[in-house]
Amino acid sequence: MPALDIRNLTKRYDDGTVALRDFSLEIPEGTFFGLLGPNGAGKTTLISAVCNLIRITSGEVLVFGEPAGSLLARSWIGLAEQDINLDRFLTVEETLIYHGGWFGMTKDDACRRAAEMINVFDLASKADVRTPRLSGGMRRRLLLARALMHRPRLVILDEPTAGVDFELRQELWRYIRRLHEEGTTILLTTHYLEEAEALCEEIALIRHGELIARDTSERLRDAYKAESLADVYVKAMGAM
Amino acid sequence: MTGNRGLLWLFKRETLRVSKLWTQTVLAPIIASALFIVVFGFSLSGRIRHIDGFPYREFIVPGLITMAMVQAAYSNNSSSVFQARSDRYINDVLSAPMHAWQMNIGYQVGGIVRSVAIGLGLGAIAVPITGTPIREPIVLVAAIGLGLLLFAALGTVVGIYAETFDHHMFVNNILILPLVFVGGVFYSVARLPSPWHELSHVNPLFYLVSAVRYGFLGHADVSVLLALGVTAALAIPVYLWSQWLFTTGRRLKA
Repeated sequence: MPALDIRNLTKRYDDGTVALRDFSLEIPEGTFFGLLGPNGAGKTTLISAVCNLIRITSGEVLVFGEPAGSLLARSWIGLAEQDINLDRFLTVEETLIYHGGWFGMTKDDACRRAAEMINVFDLASKADVRTPRLSGGMRRRLLLARALMHRPRLVILDEPTAGVDFELRQELWRYIRRLHEEGTTILLTTHYLEEAEALCEEIALIRHGELIARDTSERLRDAYKAESLADVYVKAMGAM
Repeated sequence: MTGNRGLLWLFKRETLRVSKLWTQTVLAPIIASALFIVVFGFSLSGRIRHIDGFPYREFIVPGLITMAMVQAAYSNNSSSVFQARSDRYINDVLSAPMHAWQMNIGYQVGGIVRSVAIGLGLGAIAVPITGTPIREPIVLVAAIGLGLLLFAALGTVVGIYAETFDHHMFVNNILILPLVFVGGVFYSVARLPSPWHELSHVNPLFYLVSAVRYGFLGHADVSVLLALGVTAALAIPVYLWSQWLFTTGRRLKA
């Protein structure tokens, strides 16, 4: 059963903009999957449709066989959005515990898991600090920790390393890789093509809400007769 | 997976917001309303001795408590939901495994808890110093319950529609506050000359103030059933409006 099964998804915004047009994509369970495309290609719209954050115009989204809007499917998804969206009234620890709470965790489990996430993401010194007082890097760490807090089966990372320094990026990827090795399905969007090439087992290229190509990095390079994924990207986007 | 645990945590989050800022959210409105009671109730009671057979300082207590409570229910929820939308951390709740009705109830709670805290605090000060009785406690609970439902839901609705912080202030300052003031908080509508007397009966807040006054004093300008009925007739559709917004995702999801 695929982790994510998107069937003929169309999203037309209220102003008439069509962000996704009859879009279909299947992501097998356990894959580290990259979604690449320029700004406005429809990546964030796609992610928002999977995470119940937009009203889809038509089509169907299934998460491990369950409709994406169902409570079960939602409990299986962990999302780190592109923009920092942390609750300004909560501390680092509260952010994690409350997130765990509304994803159905018990208080004890949420507290234990929050302590674990704080440790993994090196947030211990800021555990009692309210989120507006965190640095950019700390906020990004917390955003990721929050996405992983409820042990999701499908982790969606929307440009998680945008504006993050090299060291932190390496650290984050080490953790995400380990998570993937443990069986978690990862859907990643990024503008760092070398990052996608190094991490992702499969890559999809999208533009103007349509799927252009989808394959392993190696096969994409062969298909586009390119030396790197960056070349593939340039050729694929230029061909539209 | 029922979403009930999520609902309880959303209760806690909305209550935590109130308790973290308790000096602003609870203490300040209690002091402001207590000052109204002292200034108006005691300074004017020499000139206006009785209204409808009640000492003036007793007469104004129900209206002032109503005013403080409904404003708190409204402004708490409108600002909480607006901030959550504006900073987009509402997405963490919208993507969570909770039903739309659970999200709706969860967001109403903060305003209701805050209002009840203000009502109890203000009552604890005002009732002993003015000697205001509580003659119909069941009516009082029903009236306050319906009033809070109406204004907590209205706050949530405005928080969802507001484009800027000014919008939620606008509704409070231009709509709620004037309607409460002319709804008979400080005077008996029955004493107003025509056409003000008739016009007052178009003001929905007049019925809420009347129902709460009946709960305290056992007396109001209109029938208590009419007062409760009008308040319920407003509260239920506004609550359903708020529920509709969560169910459809309109204004919450692009």
